[in-house]
Amino acid sequence: MSIAGSAPSSAGTGAEPVLLPRQRRGIVRWKGIIPLALILLAIVVVWLTMGEALLRNTIEEAATKFLGTEVDIAQLDVSLRDATVELRGVSIADPFDRMRNLVEADRVRGVLEGRPLLERKIILRTLVLGGMRTGTTRRTPSAPAPKNGFAAATLRSLDVWAARLRKPVASFTPIDTIRSIVLDPAQLATVKRALEAASRADSLQGALVASYRGLALEPVLDSARAVTTRLKGASPRALGIDGTRQAVADVRRTIAQVDSAKKRVEALARDAKTSVAIVDDELHALDDARRADYAFARSLLKLPSIEGPDLGGALFGDVSIDRFQKVMYWAEMAQKYVPPGLLPREKPGPQRLRMAGSTVSFPKAREYPDFLLKRGDIALAVGGRNAATGNYAATITNVTTMPALVREPTRFTLSRRSTAGVVASIDSRGVLDHVGGRIRDSLGVTASGVTLPSFPLPGLPIRANLGAGNSRIDVLRVGNRIAARWTMDAPDVAWQRTATSPTAAGAVRNQMEALALRVIEGVDDLNITADLTGDIAKPTLNVRSNLDQLLAERLRTVGGEELAKAEAKVRAQVDRIVDEKTAPIKAKADSLRAEGEQRVAEARARLDDEKQKLDDRLKALLSARGILGLPGTE
Amino acid sequence: MLALLKTLQSLIKELHSDGTPLQIALGAALGAALGLTPIANVHNAIVLALLLILNVSFGAGMLAWGLFVPLGFILDPVFDRVGHMLLMETPALTPLWTSWFNTPLVPYTNFNNTVVLGSVVGWLVLFIPIVLLVKFLVVRYRATYGERVRKSKFYRAVTASQAYNVYRWFSPE
Repeated sequence: MSIAGSAPSSAGTGAEPVLLPRQRRGIVRWKGIIPLALILLAIVVVWLTMGEALLRNTIEEAATKFLGTEVDIAQLDVSLRDATVELRGVSIADPFDRMRNLVEADRVRGVLEGRPLLERKIILRTLVLGGMRTGTTRRTPSAPAPKNGFAAATLRSLDVWAARLRKPVASFTPIDTIRSIVLDPAQLATVKRALEAASRADSLQGALVASYRGLALEPVLDSARAVTTRLKGASPRALGIDGTRQAVADVRRTIAQVDSAKKRVEALARDAKTSVAIVDDELHALDDARRADYAFARSLLKLPSIEGPDLGGALFGDVSIDRFQKVMYWAEMAQKYVPPGLLPREKPGPQRLRMAGSTVSFPKAREYPDFLLKRGDIALAVGGRNAATGNYAATITNVTTMPALVREPTRFTLSRRSTAGVVASIDSRGVLDHVGGRIRDSLGVTASGVTLPSFPLPGLPIRANLGAGNSRIDVLRVGNRIAARWTMDAPDVAWQRTATSPTAAGAVRNQMEALALRVIEGVDDLNITADLTGDIAKPTLNVRSNLDQLLAERLRTVGGEELAKAEAKVRAQVDRIVDEKTAPIKAKADSLRAEGEQRVAEARARLDDEKQKLDDRLKALLSARGILGLPGTE
Repeated sequence: MLALLKTLQSLIKELHSDGTPLQIALGAALGAALGLTPIANVHNAIVLALLLILNVSFGAGMLAWGLFVPLGFILDPVFDRVGHMLLMETPALTPLWTSWFNTPLVPYTNFNNTVVLGSVVGWLVLFIPIVLLVKFLVVRYRATYGERVRKSKFYRAVTASQAYNVYRWFSPE
């Protein structure tokens, strides 16, 4: 048998254990260095054979997660000696169109700084992109963004955001077919608010009555009457000194009770006034609700709007929103990945079999950020024979995840001077200023002589082929406020009739529609201006164009009178229902006002009357105080 | 099944190795790090190197790794909570983390991940208890069943295998 700390007896000998002197054991097992060296060698071999492939996959995965859209890299070369990374065949899918690439680059070469790598920070001294193409078609659709990822959530929220901005489709229903609508009172906002207001008036009235009862006036008045009656005809001589003193004290106490009751009455008067004011406010709010109900009832009729701004929003709202939606996506990305400030930042940990946990960054002033691209130069050549053909040059500086450390905003410029005889240019510049605590981003893109999009006009069997023209978008975001403008000028627009039904290409449904189409087809030069302003979560979109102004004028001339009649009819119907439902609330408000005023006036009068009598009694009693040697009134 | 047999073989060999109970216990405590903490991290490379070059039981380390892996998975939410508390909810430590994670090489430890930091702290806290417990169990085993097992045919079969010779390379001196 062996004991702890001793060498065990030899295996299988069966001999009795012998206590041996403790052997001297070294701390280090030198022969363990051999397998350690073998492991290190294996790591070097794996890096040399598979390192770049593993790194490529990691970069693809990280970039896909970062941008929220598929990023593919065909080849990666890393040179540790001069700290350069070269990517070949890079493509970034368009998050809004899975069959398109936003950007493709034949070669991306980055020169890294060495020391920050020791701190696990990527500082790119320069980045050069060559052989770039935009808007290329993919052979296979890109993988959708992970459903729970930030990008997918942003896309979803932007869809909701865009839906809120969309205007109803322009309607060109013939006015002569407008019929009376049957309004359900429950659908009207005024009726709902009137019912709520009636309930509020009831409860205020109940509260007023309860408060009046709570005044407890009767005991005070009874007490005052009793004192007055008791002292009626009593003189100080008859009462004597003590009796007079007692009587004066009683009168004074009762007067104090009356004064206290009067204060309660005044408080009730104020409450009654407030209650009446609340009900009056409710009545004013009913007027606003009534205006909303006019619009609602009008929408049931599907009357064609003849107001320019409405037509502009209905005809060109969608195409404007598409432009702004893309800008908003990248602005949200910038806000997420380039947050202002230097507080510790938490993000989900790496995916692994074990729980991912969360990884925290601890930025430190005057240190390297996690990522910084000091300067990137992009040479972009677009081939073919279209308006986009040409050479582009882009510069981007100070792209970082921690702008507070870099203390310089991210700036980028992109310009193109076209070749091949096409007079076209694109200029873009922008600043992402997240250095301070407040985000301040601005972007301006001007495109001249480029091919503008073609799109259908909602609600009409016609399509606008804008052809070559000019487009400009300017966006300014400060904190949570946005001001953006998109202008588009198509001097040679072509209109193409489309089918409203599979069998009838370009068929016109009614006279109004025919008129609208005639006006539209008469326009050669189309100018659109869309303004997006306000809180970034709930901005206001205002779209106007020369077409909607012209269309509005023509529609007003032709159908204005009929439309006015139809609107008057709708208003009358709303008024009938609303007046019927709001009459009781108005009566209740009047009754509340009258009841409050009456009760207060009555209480004041009764208390004043009793107080007057008490004052008279007190005066009579105190008139003899000199004779009887009573103290003063104080 | 094979893994189970290997584990059993490893256990028997360790218990009857030339190592002292303390060497076996230290090996087990170091091996626990591999099981308790997420494996692909720099600190585990250091632990593995220590298991190889320090005169502790390598086999006990490998055995402890296998035994502590399920425990690591189970305790992950606790480690996450501990890590979160240390990284995010203890303002007094923020300057320390800020200094550490802006120091060359330290960010590669991944100690700024809640689960990694929490599990490493958990392992360090458990290190001494594991050493004491394993040492106690080895002493008890050797004093009670050790000799009977050593004389059994099963033990002779295990020690006669070729793998045993390789294993002896890493057994404590």
